[in-house]
Amino acid sequence: MHHGNATRRWMRAITAASTAAALTLTACSSSSTGTKGRSSSGPITIGMSLPLTGPVADNSKGGYQGYQYWADEINAKGGLLGRKVKLNVLDDGFNQNTAIADYTKLIGQEHVDLLLGTFSSFLNLSVAQVAERNKYVYIEPSGGADSIFARNFKYLFFAQPATTKNLPDRFVSLIQSMPAAQRPKTVAFVTQDDPNTSEAAGLFKTQLAGLGVRSVYNSTYAPDTSNFDAIANSIKQANPELVVHGALGDDGPSLIRSFQKVGFSPKMLFQTNSPADPSYASSIGASNTEGTFTALAYSSEAPFPGNSAFVSGYTAKFKGAPSEDAANSYTAGQVLAAAVTAVGKIDQSAIADWLHSHTVQTIVGPLSWSSSGQPKGSLLLAQWQSGRLQIVAPSSAATSKTVVYAKPAWQ
Amino acid sequence: MTLLLQTLIFGVLIGGVYALMSSGFTLIFGVMQVINLAHGALLILGAYLSWWMWRHTGVDPLLLGVGTSVIMYGVGWLLHKAVVSRVQRIDPGLTLVASFAVAIAGEGVIALVWGTSRHSATPSYFNTSYHLGSLIVPKAQLYACLGAIALLGLLFALLHGTFLGRSIRACATSRDGAALVGIDVDRCMTQMFAIGTATTGFGGAALAVLYQFIPDSQDVWIGRVLCIVVLGGLGSLGGAAAGAVLLGLAESMTSAYWDTRWTTAVPYMLIIAILLVRPQGIFGTTLRREGAPA
Repeated sequence: MHHGNATRRWMRAITAASTAAALTLTACSSSSTGTKGRSSSGPITIGMSLPLTGPVADNSKGGYQGYQYWADEINAKGGLLGRKVKLNVLDDGFNQNTAIADYTKLIGQEHVDLLLGTFSSFLNLSVAQVAERNKYVYIEPSGGADSIFARNFKYLFFAQPATTKNLPDRFVSLIQSMPAAQRPKTVAFVTQDDPNTSEAAGLFKTQLAGLGVRSVYNSTYAPDTSNFDAIANSIKQANPELVVHGALGDDGPSLIRSFQKVGFSPKMLFQTNSPADPSYASSIGASNTEGTFTALAYSSEAPFPGNSAFVSGYTAKFKGAPSEDAANSYTAGQVLAAAVTAVGKIDQSAIADWLHSHTVQTIVGPLSWSSSGQPKGSLLLAQWQSGRLQIVAPSSAATSKTVVYAKPAWQ
Repeated sequence: MTLLLQTLIFGVLIGGVYALMSSGFTLIFGVMQVINLAHGALLILGAYLSWWMWRHTGVDPLLLGVGTSVIMYGVGWLLHKAVVSRVQRIDPGLTLVASFAVAIAGEGVIALVWGTSRHSATPSYFNTSYHLGSLIVPKAQLYACLGAIALLGLLFALLHGTFLGRSIRACATSRDGAALVGIDVDRCMTQMFAIGTATTGFGGAALAVLYQFIPDSQDVWIGRVLCIVVLGGLGSLGGAAAGAVLLGLAESMTSAYWDTRWTTAVPYMLIIAILLVRPQGIFGTTLRREGAPA
C-alpha cells in the first residue's frame, strides 16, 4: 500500500471511486423508501458514511458491525425516545471528497435525524466540519489527531477515552512509581514515520527525560521498512534498558524478531498498537510476548458496565470477537443514545450542551469531553502476561494485579 | 570494524533473498519481453501456500517451497495459456495491463481464501542465528540465501545445459529464427513463463519465514523487484543477483551509518543514478531489435 507505483494507485483510486459511486447510487435508490424530511413519528434515521470499500475496507467492517449491533440492540429494547432506529449507511470508499459529499447529502437531502461518525483522522478531519457547519452533533468512533480538535468545534465528540496526547501517561506514571534504583536508566526510541506514532514518541521523550531516563538511541524509519536486523543491531550496540517502539502494524513483531536474531532483549519494552493485533503472539511466539507493554483504547476484558454483554452478544451475532473499531462504533452509539434520551427530544444544540456537561458510562469506561470534543480520560495500560494481554492500569479496570517489571529474555 | 562486517553480512544476506524474489521476473522479461506485474501477487500466493502447508503438516516451510514451486509452475502454465499468450496475440504491450489486472484480482482471491489477517511461518530457526565470534548470521536469511544460489544455479544450468534451455535462448534471440529451425515457439514461451513463475514458489516460502505478509504485501514486493531488475539490467539473471546484493547492501549501510528514514528511498536513488550513468542497468546489454513484421 505504501510502495505501489503511481499507475497502480491511480487505477485503485479510479476503481475505488467507481465502486463508491456505484454503491452510493445503490444506497440512494435503496433509501428512497426511507424517511424524507425529519418527522416526529416513524423511525429515527441516523446517517453515516463509512469506508466500506477501498484500502481500509477490511478494518471498517468491524466498525460497521459495531453500529449494526448497537442499532439492533436498542431496537430490541424499544428504540430511542420510543421510536425505532434506522441506519442510513453510505460508502465513502475511504475518499475524503466522497465522505464530505455523503454527509452533506445525508443532512441536506436525506434529512436524517442524527449523525454518527466515520473512521480515521483522515476522513473525520473534513467530515466534522460539514457536521459543525450544519449544527449536527457528530460523534466519531475514531480519529484522534490533534488537528481535529484544534478547531474547537461545539458539535464534535470523540468516542474513545483519550487521544494520542495521553498515550504515554500511564506507562510514564508506572516508571515514576518504581523505586529510583529499579527504574530504567537508558531508553531507545525507534518509531515508524507516522503522525500518530511520531507524536507519541515525542511525548515519551519529553516525559521520560523529565524522569531522568537518558536517551541512547533515537531513530525513525519509513512505513514500508521490512528489514529490521540492522536497526536491531544498532539498538543492541546502544544497549538501552528500555525500548519505546512507535509501531503501527507488522513492524512491531518484525523488530522483536530482529532483536531475537541479534540476541538483544531489553529489560522493558513498550510498543504502540502492534501488541493488540490478533496475530502478534503467533508471529513472535507466545512466550516471547511476556512483559511487553502497550496502551489500549479498548479491551474486551475491561470490567466496564455492559462490556461483557457486548462482547458475548457481538461474538454470537457475528461469529467473531469484536475489534477495537467495532467497540468504538458501539460506544459512539451509546454516547448518542444517552444524550438523546437525557434531552428527551432531537435537538442538536441541546444534545451537544448535555454532552459537554455530563459523563456517559460506556463499554470503554466513563467518557466526558472538553469544550473542543476531546475526551478527558486516559488510555488503558496493558501488558502481555502468560500469553494474554492484561490491563494493569488504571486499577479500576485492571484485569491483573501484578506487573512484570523485568521482561524475561527471549525464549 | 565489527559493525561494518556485521552490516555487510546483513546486506549480502538480504541481497540473496532479494535475488531469489526477482529471478523469475527477470527471466520472463529476458526471454519473453513481458513485464509481469503479477509477480508480486504470485510471490504472496507462494507464501500463503507454503504457510498453509507448513501449518497443516509441520514440515519445514523452506522444504515445502519445493512443492510450492511445482504448484506455482502449474499456476504459471495456466496463466500463460489463459491470459498472457492470448493478450500477446492482440498487442504485446497489453501484457503489462493484463498482468496488473491479474495482480489485483489475485490479491482479492487470496483475501477471499485466506482472509486479510497477517501471517508468517515460524519454524524453529526463524528467529535464531549462528554466532561467529561477535558476528551474527541469521539462520533463516542464510538458508534463503543458499536457496537463492541453488535456484540461480539451476536456472543457469537449465538455460545452458538442456535442449529446452537452448530452445528458450533461441526464442529470446529471434522467435522467427527459432521457428524456422523447428522450435515450437509457443510451447517454449509457455514453459518459460511457467518456470519463471515456479521460482515464486521457493521465493514465497522464504518470504513466509522471513517476513509477515497479508494479500496487500504484493505491492511492496513488486516495487522492490522492479528496482532490482532495473538496477541489474532487465532480463539478466546475473544482473538481478548483482542488483539484489547492491540493494541489500545499500539498505543495510544506510540503516547503520546514515538514517533509517532513508532506507526505503535508497532503491529509487540508486535507480536514478544507474539510469543516468548506465540506462541499460549494470549487467544489461543493448540489443538490436528484430525488424517489425511486414
